[in-house]
Amino acid sequence: MLRRKFNLKISISFLLITVLSIPAFAQGWDVPEAQKSKNSNVVFDAGATKEGESVFTKNCVSCHGNPGKGNFMKTLTPPPPDLAGDKTHNLTDGELFYILNTGRGVMPSFKNILSETDRWKAIAFIRSFHKGYVQVVSKTDPEKSKLVKINVSFDEKSNKVTVDVKANEKTGVVALKETEVSLFAKRRFGNLQIEKSGRTDANGVISFNFPKELPGDKEGNVELIVKISNEAYGEVESQSKMKLGIPTDVPSLTKERSMFNVMKKAPWWILITYFSGISIVIGFFIYMLLNLKKLFDLGKK
Amino acid sequence: MSSNEEKPTKKSRRDFLQQIGVVGLGSVLGGSAIMAGINYDQKKKASDRVKILTAENELMEVEKSALSAVSKPKAEDLAYLQKHGREGLAGKRWVMVIDLSKCRNARKCMAACQDAHHLRPEQHHINVLKMQETKNTPAYYMPKPCQHCDNPPCVPVCPVDATFKRQDGIVLIDNERCIGCRFCVAACPYSSRIFNWSDPLHEEEDKDLVYNVELNVPQRKGTVSKCLFSADRLREEKLPYCVSACPNGVYYFGDENEDAVTNGTTKETVRFKKLLEDNGGYTLMPELGTKPRVYYLPPKGKEYPFQEKDKEEAAEHLG
Amino acid sequence: MLDHSKADKITSDLLRSIRMNKSFVVWMGILGISLVICLYAYTIQLREGLGVTGLRDYVSWGMYIANFVFFVAASLIGMLISAVLGLSGQKWITPITRIAEIIALAFAAVAGLVIVSDMGHPERLLNVFMYGRIQSPIIWDVTVVTVYVLLSTLYLFIPLIPDLKICHDKIDNITPLQSKIYKLLSLNWKGTAEQVALVRKMIRAISIFIIPVAFGIHTVTSWLFASTLRVGWDSTIFGPYFVTGAFVTGCAGVIIAMYFYRFNYKLGDYLTDFHFDKMAKLLVLVSLVYLYFNLNEYMVPGYKMKKFDALHIHDLFVGNHALLFWAVQLGGLVIPIILLLFKKMRTPKPMLFIAIAVFIGAWFKRYIIVVPTMEHPFLPIQNVPLNFKIYTPTLTEVLINFAPFVLVLLIITILSKVVPIIPVQETIEEFEETHK
Repeated sequence: MLRRKFNLKISISFLLITVLSIPAFAQGWDVPEAQKSKNSNVVFDAGATKEGESVFTKNCVSCHGNPGKGNFMKTLTPPPPDLAGDKTHNLTDGELFYILNTGRGVMPSFKNILSETDRWKAIAFIRSFHKGYVQVVSKTDPEKSKLVKINVSFDEKSNKVTVDVKANEKTGVVALKETEVSLFAKRRFGNLQIEKSGRTDANGVISFNFPKELPGDKEGNVELIVKISNEAYGEVESQSKMKLGIPTDVPSLTKERSMFNVMKKAPWWILITYFSGISIVIGFFIYMLLNLKKLFDLGKK
Repeated sequence: MSSNEEKPTKKSRRDFLQQIGVVGLGSVLGGSAIMAGINYDQKKKASDRVKILTAENELMEVEKSALSAVSKPKAEDLAYLQKHGREGLAGKRWVMVIDLSKCRNARKCMAACQDAHHLRPEQHHINVLKMQETKNTPAYYMPKPCQHCDNPPCVPVCPVDATFKRQDGIVLIDNERCIGCRFCVAACPYSSRIFNWSDPLHEEEDKDLVYNVELNVPQRKGTVSKCLFSADRLREEKLPYCVSACPNGVYYFGDENEDAVTNGTTKETVRFKKLLEDNGGYTLMPELGTKPRVYYLPPKGKEYPFQEKDKEEAAEHLG
Repeated sequence: MLDHSKADKITSDLLRSIRMNKSFVVWMGILGISLVICLYAYTIQLREGLGVTGLRDYVSWGMYIANFVFFVAASLIGMLISAVLGLSGQKWITPITRIAEIIALAFAAVAGLVIVSDMGHPERLLNVFMYGRIQSPIIWDVTVVTVYVLLSTLYLFIPLIPDLKICHDKIDNITPLQSKIYKLLSLNWKGTAEQVALVRKMIRAISIFIIPVAFGIHTVTSWLFASTLRVGWDSTIFGPYFVTGAFVTGCAGVIIAMYFYRFNYKLGDYLTDFHFDKMAKLLVLVSLVYLYFNLNEYMVPGYKMKKFDALHIHDLFVGNHALLFWAVQLGGLVIPIILLLFKKMRTPKPMLFIAIAVFIGAWFKRYIIVVPTMEHPFLPIQNVPLNFKIYTPTLTEVLINFAPFVLVLLIITILSKVVPIIPVQETIEEFEETHK
């Protein structure tokens, strides 16, 4: 009887938890219509799937687990779905791509972390678990992105970085207006975004206020990364090195003499104290030994 | 007795010379120690450029700093690993920021760390603690790696220079040299050091591995081990094991000289000083003057409540 | 004038112990067997690692370190009696000096071995000399203990030179080899005025030089703790606190040894009740000084009760270690002081028991200094098995800790079988001076 009551309690609480968490599950992704129909330029073949697997292992497995294995992080709210499941199966490529780009809550945005190709390859890997999935390859011309020319300039007075995006069409140079542009400064483990992403004006130009006190290398050089995303031309990235940071050349942490340094770089006082102590001791023992010899010699007389 | 206390008034020439010798020897010893210190500084300057033999058998001279950037560690060469492991990366000052408001005690960091460094389940380079400062202040989860202090209390006490601080701030332990006296364990106020009391976990499997001081693998019985800030990963421009393993966005890691830290979960890169400024960043036990390289963001606005079952353990340390 | 018959009696009395007998062989046998058992325990540790002890990551220093501190402490007595009291002109110490020196040398020499038993990699001992980092208190300790052992050897040897000559001349039932060694070590001693003066000069020089070195060894040993940030160790008075504690230990050790020699070597005429009374008073004096330092060491943090100090003090006063703490403080310090204030208690037999209590108390006092601090780090001990939180020494560990005691007894036994444990020459001289 008692046990039954206990079980009932568990069942009720379980039910409650389930019901309460439904909104979290149910709260689907609000994907803009235009994005839903987006398709990949990358063909989801064996090669792409294989490369996608390595992208997936590095970036997704820690939360989502291996597709189909059910080893996702159950403690997270909402729990990350097993990506081999029906829910994921029913999403369009465009929806998956959007989710990957924006992220939500605990899920990071991978737009600035992975290249467009890598993001599609990760999706190729996920799709390999979906039976009956047939890819619709994007009709946009991937070659078009090669026509894009990005020009980055820096104005010291206003401390502004200006990005000018153009495309060298056969018909002539076209300014890419309404193109999303993001500016980053390269750091050791990732790219530091400078201001928010913005869209180019009618001339294909956008300016970013560059922070004044961002450290650069010894000469003040900072590696800039510009990422653009245009409906017709796709995603393009350009890198350039510019002298717009604070020259930074801090000394090594082991430069100064200190207690924690190697013995040769110990503080003077300790070196002097120790070695003078040793010298005195050696001196004393030599003095004693000489005296013992003297004692021995005295006895010979 | 008193009659013998008189000091000899006439000193023989020989006695005098002996005393001179004693004083002289002392000065020589002291002096040579001082000279060694001076020479060390000079030598270092001269050796900023080093000669290397290229694959095409050409002898070239390059900047030392450039060298560490281009060369890849040769796994088979212990001397190489030891040398680079002791020097560290030039121009870097690693920092970690731990956002306590995000920690949900998932312990993925601990697992990834133990996996990478071949540790037993009870051996922690990083340990997620259940903390509570006073009776009425809230309990919270606090991951605690080695603080990689800029004034490390554990390093100067090592009698054999087995544990050392590198130019990039990392405090490492060389288990090829460690004598196992455990003075560093006693000296660390953060209880960050552990000891291999018996055979390491992968004693047999790791037998033929070349020791990598930046990974402290293979672990060795009778030596100290500790958090290494994943020095081997940093060399490859990768985030530390624990940082990348966290599913909750707790860890940021980066280079203080770049004023940027990258979140291990979201991979988002933010300004280091601004992150601390905006969130009230602090260090553990600053009153000890250890100058940690690990910073904490207070557990404000936690999304995940402190678990009921952990409350008792957290309160144990209240005193 | 020389009283030849009296001098001869002194000589024969004091040289009587230098001969083989059955009890010596039996005693050596017992010590030898004990040593083998202890060394066997050590081979287990060498093979299995320090995991065979009760030590773990948090309490990583335990019995071995306590034992090391105790051994260093016991070795300080040589300096106190021969140098401090000797230089201040105390005459009564003459028959005790050599006992104190032998104890000092034995404990100091073995202390180095105790620390080796605590090492995870004893075979890497040479690293200390190859890669020594002089910022480490361990390097200072190694240096200063080595110096003290050498100095104690000289301090034992130089006053012994005239006695070695006497041994060579007067003892007839020894092997030619032993006789030869006596001859060799007596360094052509003829007892000329020049030689006497030179020996006195040397003794005086060592007496002065050994004082800072002896203070050094125990101060540096205390710095092994005081140089850390740990609660209970992070103290500025640790140097003098340890040094005075060492005097208490040493005095108790000497009293035990005196009792043993007086009755086993039948030296009642030389180690008289007067000497015991003097030693008792010395023990009271040093104990009072030590009590004063104890008061400072516990009352100051106990008054303020800073967070972590409070945890530590609580643990000692009423917590896990309270029984041991009070047993040591009362039984090993306060009660002995009170008892020894009574004249009746300052006689050999009661003193033996008091000295034993003080001696044992002194050992556990080191344990109390080392272990509770390690059990109370600043951050909580979590996610580890229970035996990481509470330290319990294992049998293997206890046996290994006995080895140094056995070794000390071996050294003392052998030394007191080859040299007169009471200075013969000095005793004769003193007798002559008082009977002029």
